[in-house]
Amino acid sequence: MNKNNLIQTMTEKAGAVGTIIHEISSVSQALQYAVDLNKEKKLKTLACPGLDKEDRDMLMNLCKASDLDLLEEPLRDHSSCLDTALTWVDFGIAETGTLMLASDSEEIRIATMLASIHIAMLPISKIRTDTSAIEADLNDILKKNSPSYTAFITGASRTADIERVLAIGVHGPVELHLLLIKEIQP
Amino acid sequence: MIKTAQDMKSYKKQLHQALNDSFLRSALDEFNTAYRENRPNVYKDIDFNSIRDSLAENKDRLIPFLEVLYEEFKRNAEKAGTFVHRAKDAREANEIIARIARENQVKKIIKSKTMTAEETFLNDYLEEQGFMVTETDLGEWIIQLKHEGPSHMVMPAIHLSRYQVGDLFEEQTQSKVEAENIDKLVKVARHVLRPRFLDAEMGVTGANFALADSGTLGLVTNEGNMRLCTTLPRVHVALVGFDKLLADLGSALEILKILPRNATGQAITSYVTWIKGANQCLNTSSQKKQMHVVFLDNGRLSISRDPVFRTALRCIRCGACANVCPIYSKVGGHKYGHVYIGAIGLILTLFYHGKENDRAIVKNCINCQACKEVCPVGIDLPHLIKKTYARVIKEEGKTPVKNFILSKVMKNRKLFHFILRKAYLAQQPLAKGKPMIRHLPSFLEKNHGFRSLPVIAKTPLRDQWETLSPKLENPSLTIALFAGCAMDFIYPKHGKDLLTLLKKANIQVDFPMDQTCCGLPAMMAAEEKTARALALQNIKAFTGKKYDYILTLCASCASHLTHNYGKIFKEDKEPAKNLELFTNKIIDFSSFMDKVYKFSQTSQSLTKKVAYHSPCHLCRGLHVTKEPRALIKKAGYTYVPSKDEDVCCGFGGSYSVDFPEISSEILKKKLDNVEASGADILVTDCPGCVMQLSGGMDKRQSPVKVLHLVELLAEKE
Repeated sequence: MNKNNLIQTMTEKAGAVGTIIHEISSVSQALQYAVDLNKEKKLKTLACPGLDKEDRDMLMNLCKASDLDLLEEPLRDHSSCLDTALTWVDFGIAETGTLMLASDSEEIRIATMLASIHIAMLPISKIRTDTSAIEADLNDILKKNSPSYTAFITGASRTADIERVLAIGVHGPVELHLLLIKEIQP
Repeated sequence: MIKTAQDMKSYKKQLHQALNDSFLRSALDEFNTAYRENRPNVYKDIDFNSIRDSLAENKDRLIPFLEVLYEEFKRNAEKAGTFVHRAKDAREANEIIARIARENQVKKIIKSKTMTAEETFLNDYLEEQGFMVTETDLGEWIIQLKHEGPSHMVMPAIHLSRYQVGDLFEEQTQSKVEAENIDKLVKVARHVLRPRFLDAEMGVTGANFALADSGTLGLVTNEGNMRLCTTLPRVHVALVGFDKLLADLGSALEILKILPRNATGQAITSYVTWIKGANQCLNTSSQKKQMHVVFLDNGRLSISRDPVFRTALRCIRCGACANVCPIYSKVGGHKYGHVYIGAIGLILTLFYHGKENDRAIVKNCINCQACKEVCPVGIDLPHLIKKTYARVIKEEGKTPVKNFILSKVMKNRKLFHFILRKAYLAQQPLAKGKPMIRHLPSFLEKNHGFRSLPVIAKTPLRDQWETLSPKLENPSLTIALFAGCAMDFIYPKHGKDLLTLLKKANIQVDFPMDQTCCGLPAMMAAEEKTARALALQNIKAFTGKKYDYILTLCASCASHLTHNYGKIFKEDKEPAKNLELFTNKIIDFSSFMDKVYKFSQTSQSLTKKVAYHSPCHLCRGLHVTKEPRALIKKAGYTYVPSKDEDVCCGFGGSYSVDFPEISSEILKKKLDNVEASGADILVTDCPGCVMQLSGGMDKRQSPVKVLHLVELLAEKE
């Protein structure tokens, strides 16, 4: 599948399960998106585990300017007030609109599980066709003699346990946003 | 608590109650239809059959080596800090888990959904031991609050309405809950359970996959509770059946292509999580979680060595066998399984929970093959259910009266046919000269009066054959007729109509007189020796003369002769003599008329509208679907589709006598759908279905006429 087809399939399939997708051109745009979304939803807090220091500092400034709290780690201490999580994800799987996220860090796990909104950043170059195209990468992780916690995430948390009626956001995030970033190369 | 009936009397009582639960009835009926209607859409991008065959092959390759895979998993998981345990039975598994909890000073335990823990009744055990256990999957939490077992493997609370859930939540929260709004009910669970995740010291989960080559667990979920269960508490225990062991990630990814699709119609679930070893946990001094995997045997290793039942271990717990089952859709999971429900539940219950819990439910299979058709790992579920029933009978050490009679009567063809002939006379006082018996004696009418019964023919087809049968000089084909009991003794007219058709095409038809019942009723009653004896008699009856085809107008006979005869003799050292020569020649009526006879398009256009009922053993047993519909059109009629055409009519031979209330409900839905189609005539190509459908239509005095396809085509000639 060529690059445009990959982006198109990823967008279609992720969109089909309710993921909100935007193509953006830089990380700074992603940071601004997170802040704007929080303001729009009248939310108070953000967490951004896994971001490098420069990006985190930039986000901190944006949060200050908008009167938002960028939560300090460990995030366990903020588990009852975590509104939005902004993280990188490792791969996109176009066939099902899935994100692969190495979540060995507890901070990443807590952020992406407890937050109401998860905003995921994915460089466009990391979109793969299907699970067989990430099998070798995942196997590299699993075959190491060390612990690992790797997630495939497809849309928001969901259930149909009551009368088979689909309801979104039962225990995990109520919304999943995917920001496809153009400028970053592997 | 789970109260599975341990005898037929209490089982019938439970079934009666379930059939009168109006919410359950409408919810499951709708689910059954919706699930089947949605399937083509779910599988539009991938080929179900080829993935199914590949999964079955892969699982079959692994099943004999579960012990080896376990050792490999253990070695690899331990390298990453996992403690791996094995439990020979449920009690041992529960004890191991309680011990881990005690050793880690755990008081509060949270659980995500695991059928394996349901199997061991882990919650009851842990609560007895003084631990506080909270289920966190929404459906599981609901049934925990209701003190019930799951009624579906994927949707455990499917039997409850939003209002029943609302009442439970009001009791739990001591505040008013807006039950009409399901989103709000879901949010109640989110708010009540969130603190429980944060407080718990231990999380218990199951796993969908245990990858031997890396020591990793794979978990397939939607709600996000499993992720919290495996992240927030400092101890994680996964209880995993030996059957979940796979060689590697590739095998798991292949299952993942089909499991969510088959279970919930999703291309993939919201979360698929790969967990290996003692992951980071920042609220402990070591900053590491304690990770335990408990592998449960509980009979699995013994099944893995059983040549008949080992395919049951292919099961990946998608729940589809319940979703499409016409009986499940009428009575629900609590009456259609013990812990494991649906077709696979009728089998596994014997092995995991004993014959006492299986002896009544295992009889409740109509053999419609719907489960087999959707099983993503190709388990021959209806066959294994009968095998399970045979094993229950053996373990009980008592031959049921029905089996005793079947054995005595059916093995002796002359005695069997003598009894059928006498039945004509016995029926006369009830028939009062009519072709149908509308009213049964009062003691039978209540349960069995849902359909009129056909009268046994005064002269069976075999006794008329000499005068009916043409002797053609240079026939284009010579075929043999396998009449089946219903055509021979109830519907000789179908035979006469067939002869009318075939005579015109210069086809010689023989009726080997030593033929007898195909043996399906015996197999349905798990009367294996009788089924075998009848198979041998039939093979012998058709051996000796060369036939181009052996034609039968009964779809059930056709499917049984084609597929089950091979299974009957499968375990023999030497194949039965002439078996394949016989089975390879069997052809059903529709295929014969379409492909061999080449029934031609009539120019005349008829105004009558014809609906079609697709017999289970034709559409699923023999995969014949297009031919009968094409024949209706070629005969000049307007074919009108009706809803659920390929769903069972509720006959199932003696099933409709053993479980009349369920048979009646299945029939009712079928007839309602046909009447709603506006058809004048309902056509099918199995005399058993004709009996059930015409009996039902007659009883409701419907103007819709029920015909065998042969009658429709002969009428045209």
